[in-house]
Amino acid sequence: MHVRNFSIIAHIDHGKSTLADRLLQFTKAVSERDARDQLLDTMDLERERGITIKASAVTIHHTWQGEDYQLNFIDTPGHVDFAYEVSRALTACEGAILVVDATQGVEAQTVANAYLAVENDLELIPVVNKIDLPTARPQEVAMEIEQVLGLPAEECLYCSAKTGEGVAELLDRICERLPPPAPPETDKTRALIFDSRYDDYRGVIVYCRVFDGALRVGDRIRMLGTGRHYTITELGRHTPTPTRVDELVHAEVGYLVASIRALEDVRVGDTITLDTDPADKPLPGYREPKQMVFCEFYPATTTGDSGRKGEFETLRDAIEKLRLNDASFVFDATHSEALGFGFRCGFLGLLHMEIIQQRLEREGGVEIVQTAPTVSYQIVLRDGSVKEIHNPADLPDPSTIESVREPLVKLEIICPTENIGDLMKLCDGRRGTYKGQRFISQTRQMLDFELPLAEIIYDFHDKLKSITRGYGTMDYEIIGYHADKLVKVDILVNEVAVEAMSLICHRQAAEKRSRAILQTLRKQIARHQFEIPLQAAIGGKIIARETIKAVRKNVTAKCYGGDVTRKRKLLEKQKKGKKRMKMVGSVSIPQEAFLAVLTTEQ
Amino acid sequence: MIPLAQLTTSDPRLQALSMTASDLPLAGGPGPRGLYVHVPFCVHKCHYCDFYSLVETGPDSRRPAFTDRLIEEIRAAAPRVPCPLQTIFVGGGTPTLLEPGLWARLLAAIRTHLPLAPGLEFTVEANPDSLEPELLDVLVRGGVNRLSIGAQSFNPRLLATLERRHDPANVRRAVGLARAAGITNVNLDLIFGIPGQDLDTWLADLDEAVSLEPLHLSCYSLMYEPNTPLTARMRSGAIRRVDEEVEAAMYEATIDRLHEAGFEHYEISSWARPGRACAHNLLYWRNESWWPLGPGAAGHVEGIRWKNVPRLGDYLRVGPLPPITDVEQLDEDGTVGEILMLGLRLTEGIGEAQLRTLLARGRRGPQRASAIEQQVAAGLLARRDGFLRFTRAGLLLADTVLAEVL
Repeated sequence: MHVRNFSIIAHIDHGKSTLADRLLQFTKAVSERDARDQLLDTMDLERERGITIKASAVTIHHTWQGEDYQLNFIDTPGHVDFAYEVSRALTACEGAILVVDATQGVEAQTVANAYLAVENDLELIPVVNKIDLPTARPQEVAMEIEQVLGLPAEECLYCSAKTGEGVAELLDRICERLPPPAPPETDKTRALIFDSRYDDYRGVIVYCRVFDGALRVGDRIRMLGTGRHYTITELGRHTPTPTRVDELVHAEVGYLVASIRALEDVRVGDTITLDTDPADKPLPGYREPKQMVFCEFYPATTTGDSGRKGEFETLRDAIEKLRLNDASFVFDATHSEALGFGFRCGFLGLLHMEIIQQRLEREGGVEIVQTAPTVSYQIVLRDGSVKEIHNPADLPDPSTIESVREPLVKLEIICPTENIGDLMKLCDGRRGTYKGQRFISQTRQMLDFELPLAEIIYDFHDKLKSITRGYGTMDYEIIGYHADKLVKVDILVNEVAVEAMSLICHRQAAEKRSRAILQTLRKQIARHQFEIPLQAAIGGKIIARETIKAVRKNVTAKCYGGDVTRKRKLLEKQKKGKKRMKMVGSVSIPQEAFLAVLTTEQ
Repeated sequence: MIPLAQLTTSDPRLQALSMTASDLPLAGGPGPRGLYVHVPFCVHKCHYCDFYSLVETGPDSRRPAFTDRLIEEIRAAAPRVPCPLQTIFVGGGTPTLLEPGLWARLLAAIRTHLPLAPGLEFTVEANPDSLEPELLDVLVRGGVNRLSIGAQSFNPRLLATLERRHDPANVRRAVGLARAAGITNVNLDLIFGIPGQDLDTWLADLDEAVSLEPLHLSCYSLMYEPNTPLTARMRSGAIRRVDEEVEAAMYEATIDRLHEAGFEHYEISSWARPGRACAHNLLYWRNESWWPLGPGAAGHVEGIRWKNVPRLGDYLRVGPLPPITDVEQLDEDGTVGEILMLGLRLTEGIGEAQLRTLLARGRRGPQRASAIEQQVAAGLLARRDGFLRFTRAGLLLADTVLAEVL
């Protein structure tokens, strides 16, 4: 029997999941009746957003030239936030189907994903999808693929996952063009973990690809990276319904259950070997997931103190439960002067953050207040040591700091030619360095920049979309840390520094950002009986100032007809408003002011 | 009697159908010292007013029916008024819109059914346009000895901004007629902070009012009440709110000007010639008891506050005591809060001995004591001659201060 292991890679919404479903149907893995749209995405959220968050592997069979082929389809997350997971999944394959929408053409993630595949030595089959649409322009898109990725236009397969046109040819092409798995390198068993998920009854389910040797039920296994031991209690394949097998042999893909209690005990990219006869060397490429984007989550309720505590616990439970399913985000309990108890969370990237937030609200049933995202900074101290922080409040004494480094990304933008000027300006304003420009088609270009991650985590994507009227796409990859003139700005309200409002930003942007923040604050903080100075300072030096004037008169006269109740209620309302406020020195600051500061546009 | 806890439903319609003042646990005490009567008719609704009033004219007016109903209510309330009334205040609306014949019947009913103290202060609110000698004669003969005239301003342009339809010249005329009829105890209501008004035009209004030699002046800063045309016009930008600094200056200038003119500033917005403070209003500020009559009237007896149903239709339909709504009996802390809120509005303030007693009541005493100290430290309250009272700066920020100590 022949084996082919492959992935489908595509930009969001280019039809990856529909094509996957269609492949299952064509190979009779799923009956017409059972075919739900996007069968492989098991989470509601994935279905709704049309993006695949967690990979799974499905085994199907196809007959080509009279011979049976076992096709193992490994689904990958579609976004570069999960670049590491994607690359591990791709490592488990020999080839990939590159899907491009016949109406949209090559997009930023098409390029990013294709590069990842090429880096992993995968054979690519370019497919132009959605050719049934009236606005489809398959030949042009094929030309774009050739232009950008160097895959000959004439080798592009035209198909419609929706109507099924071209799908049979695609299956044949997979058997024909994708290379068979390489022969084993060693006689010791080695299997690559490319995904895992948590099941309430069986514990962690590990998805793996066997590169050398074989795994059998009852085997005592060892994870080479973490050193943990387990005994295999179940092996199987998804066809797409789970089907138990006794063994997974060389080149096969499937799942493994071994009484593993927590997702964090299993690391994507780790190598499974036999405990009794272990391999010397792990499969290459394993690394720890690294959180680059941080923000804080607080329960959104503003009701009384007792209710608040309950909300916090609901949030904690939801976060802990979610963590069981996603070991790549981290969290720590935190307390904010303004927002009470909450969690500081770290994510692989922006999309990852958004997904976690939505899943918490949806699956955990909690409403969340989310602070603006920040990045992780490396602080190089004068003694040569490096400290990593992701909260301005954790910045050490400035006199001990040699330099501050921030994450740098390589950013690729694909956009209509007429928007290039505006996008150049946008990136320039965000401390971007122009790296190059490539021709995609008569009307579209690809721009390369390097810029700090901090400059794109907040509203960059929205700006890009608005400049290009929705036609621009972007993708980024973190390429390292670099030092810049980064400073901590303190915000002082009535001469008292408010730690929760401090921020790290570039020295040159400090005045402008400070002014924007102070102006926001001026609108948010009610006037008091005294004048309130608002100041922004860098190391004690004031760089911006606003003033909230004192209230001169607040007295109502009427108590006509002795309606005392109404008068009292008006005053109580004034007072109640104050309860939800945080006292900083003698100034009451509303919760909203803290949030407004954290989300003030840069 | 229904337990009070069950009475405090928040749906006025439901309450309106279910209970009257006879369901309240009021028996046994000394009863009310004052009476408030609400007359809900107006010729025209002024744009700043949010009180319950109806514009009803012509032959189909419900004024006679209202008067009948009010007299019926007086009869029914009489058993709840065991001690002689010290004050009566008829407000509105525009009480002077009731025809002299209706007034005569109303006054007779009051004198017949209710016990009245010898020194009774009996005030009627009057619109300068609807005060005629014939009516005044009826009022005086019926025992009315104080008039409160809604002057608001003498400036036609500012009156127009308020959609106040009286002729400013009629204020002088009304004061003259009142004196001629034997009523010397006259109050003038004035409003400052009207859009388009500056300090000088306000002081001109104030001087004009003083020149009429009233014994009492009420000077209110214009309030933008929700759901009034005035507030809507302000929001839409059609009129501009007077700057807060200017309003503050107007208030301070009022205090100085009336002091020079020999008036005593006895409450945040009330000034009187010595001995002429409004006894009825003092009931309010001293948290004493008064009985409400008429639709929408609010009362306070034995620590219970309530209101008659506001709609004339409901009021006319059910009797003899009308349905009531917004019933409220405060706990110790709530009561202390109200006493402080009301008492501090008087410029004499609250006596230290009474204050100590108040702060010993309820659970929030220590909290209140510290809030008071903070306001003293901020210079908004002061302790002087055995009283805690507002400073001048405090008067300007009275609501801020009161919200803190409530």
